[in-house]
Amino acid sequence: MAKTILELQGVVKRYGATLGVGPVDVDVREGEFLTLLGPSGCGKTTTLHVVAGLLFPDQGRVVLGARDITRLDPQNRDMGLVFQNYALFPHKTVFDNVAFGLRMRRTPRAEIAGRVRRVLDMVGLPGVEARLPGQLSGGQRQRVALARALVIEPTVLLLDEPLSNLDAVLRKRMRLDLRELQQHLGIATIFVTHDQDEAFEISDRVVLLNRGRVEQVGTPEELYDDPATRFAAEFIGETNLIEGVVAAAAGAIVTVDTSVGARYEAFAPGRSLRGGDPVYVMIRPERIDLVPERPAGGVAMPATVSKRVFAGDVITFELRTEHGLLLRCSKPSVAEYRALAPGAPVWAVVRDCRALPRDGDGEA
Amino acid sequence: MATERREVVEAGGRSGRLWLAPIALLYLIALIAPISFFLVMSVFRYSALELWVPTVTGENFARLLGDAYHRAIIVRTLKIALLTTIGCLALGYPLAWYLARTASAWRGLLMFLVIAPLMTGVIVRTYGWIVLLGSEGTINTILRGLGLVDRPLKILHTELAVLIALVHILLPYMVFPLFAALAGQDPDLERAAHTLGAGRARTFLEVTLPLSRPGILMGSALVFTLTAGAVVTPALMGGKDVRMLGQTIYELTMSTLNWPLASAVAFVLVLCQFAILLVYFRSGRRRAA
Repeated sequence: MAKTILELQGVVKRYGATLGVGPVDVDVREGEFLTLLGPSGCGKTTTLHVVAGLLFPDQGRVVLGARDITRLDPQNRDMGLVFQNYALFPHKTVFDNVAFGLRMRRTPRAEIAGRVRRVLDMVGLPGVEARLPGQLSGGQRQRVALARALVIEPTVLLLDEPLSNLDAVLRKRMRLDLRELQQHLGIATIFVTHDQDEAFEISDRVVLLNRGRVEQVGTPEELYDDPATRFAAEFIGETNLIEGVVAAAAGAIVTVDTSVGARYEAFAPGRSLRGGDPVYVMIRPERIDLVPERPAGGVAMPATVSKRVFAGDVITFELRTEHGLLLRCSKPSVAEYRALAPGAPVWAVVRDCRALPRDGDGEA
Repeated sequence: MATERREVVEAGGRSGRLWLAPIALLYLIALIAPISFFLVMSVFRYSALELWVPTVTGENFARLLGDAYHRAIIVRTLKIALLTTIGCLALGYPLAWYLARTASAWRGLLMFLVIAPLMTGVIVRTYGWIVLLGSEGTINTILRGLGLVDRPLKILHTELAVLIALVHILLPYMVFPLFAALAGQDPDLERAAHTLGAGRARTFLEVTLPLSRPGILMGSALVFTLTAGAVVTPALMGGKDVRMLGQTIYELTMSTLNWPLASAVAFVLVLCQFAILLVYFRSGRRRAA
């Protein structure tokens, strides 16, 4: 595993009496693309500003390498920050914007010219040195902001929703370009977004934040397959949650009784659930099979299609089981599923499900 | 930004321009007509009997620019206008900066205090300064009470007195354009400068100051033109010793009844003010281009 280069230890930031974030613990590894994901107001930007030194935490430490930089001014941190609105200096040309960080470091003139040209080539924007930011398109501005942050060769690159002001097509392309550039440079990057698709597509690991706290940290697969809380389950992707109580536990497999009749064998790795614990059974929509006849084994429920939403490549069904449970189920857009119209009887077979603790505090 | 603004104006179109008719009419009656009047008057000949005779002559301008007395008034007016502008800028910039950046609960009160002087008349405020600065005034009483001076300092009826009162009276005209320019800045720009390695001073010089230029120019143009045309404050604070163009025009018109000469003085004054406004608009345009 790669070495940790940046660490937030128990960081707390208050705004007056109200809690902004914390306590938050995050570690960033060398060359890693780490995303802070969460709904607006969850403290992602505050956390990023603490890393950049634009905010000093009320408690906790920020450690870069072996050095405590909690109280270090932003100008001495060598971190490249790209702002959501880019924050390009409107009165300076593209060249002067990109050269700014180098001039502050007293880099010789001749060297500045070369480095600015190289970094603009790298972000795919040669030949715009003489223009003012106001004369560039949104996508170009975004690239200039990235070039300005990268040219100082920062130890950590910080990106605050840099793609949110771009249109959908450009956003997808920039996402891939950004990832490619980051891997090419091997620079540790913290990316802030509220967009789960963006986070999953681009990140090595995701830190899910909610109300100023870390809800879960993991790879995109870990967060999707095994959410730790109800918030995590609902924020990431579509999901079915069924309230239940653990009947028996055997290692990572627990048996859960639910109010809607069925008994589930759910996977709950590393959760140490015991009999009597209140839990949710989580079933992702694509983990439900729809078959016409009762299958031989597994958890199968007779149900009726109550709603059908066609989205081109995928069809989403809403099923009502005989116990009155509503389940969302998504299927590829192929002939056998296209034929299923509202009112059609089916058997819903749960291919796999997870159990996650239900403490009553998981309200999103 | 500039292009967006232009589009909005164009969207207003013909009907939008129609709304400008009342103000255009007002300007025609209150500004263009009088200026045309004294432009013409300034080249007429003065007559003690008939006030003026419509004979074209350059003698008014020759007298104004030729004799040392009038030249001194022009130079003094420009000097005091310039110093007042500098004074307002020096006092107003930190104040505007603080108002634009503070999250303090006192901001509202401070804003009120900046506007408050505008609610009392110029004459009232000027008399206030006379009470403070006169030879029997508060400041001299305190200085003498403390034994710092034997005889009262002559502050009233000096250029300094005029300057102090003008800076005080015109400060809001400097603070508000500056405030607007500073408050309109995206706070992320200063943050960006910090993360790129600029300390507070560099950030101010590289980002904050250049971006507040429209406010500096606007405030300076306002204060300079208002000072150059001031009548009451220089008359009361400066007395007969510190004459400026405004009083000179007033006296030539009302007491001496030399309208042609008064018009020539007015012409020079308006010329100075237009020159300043021209500099303002030219530099504004250069920035937008």
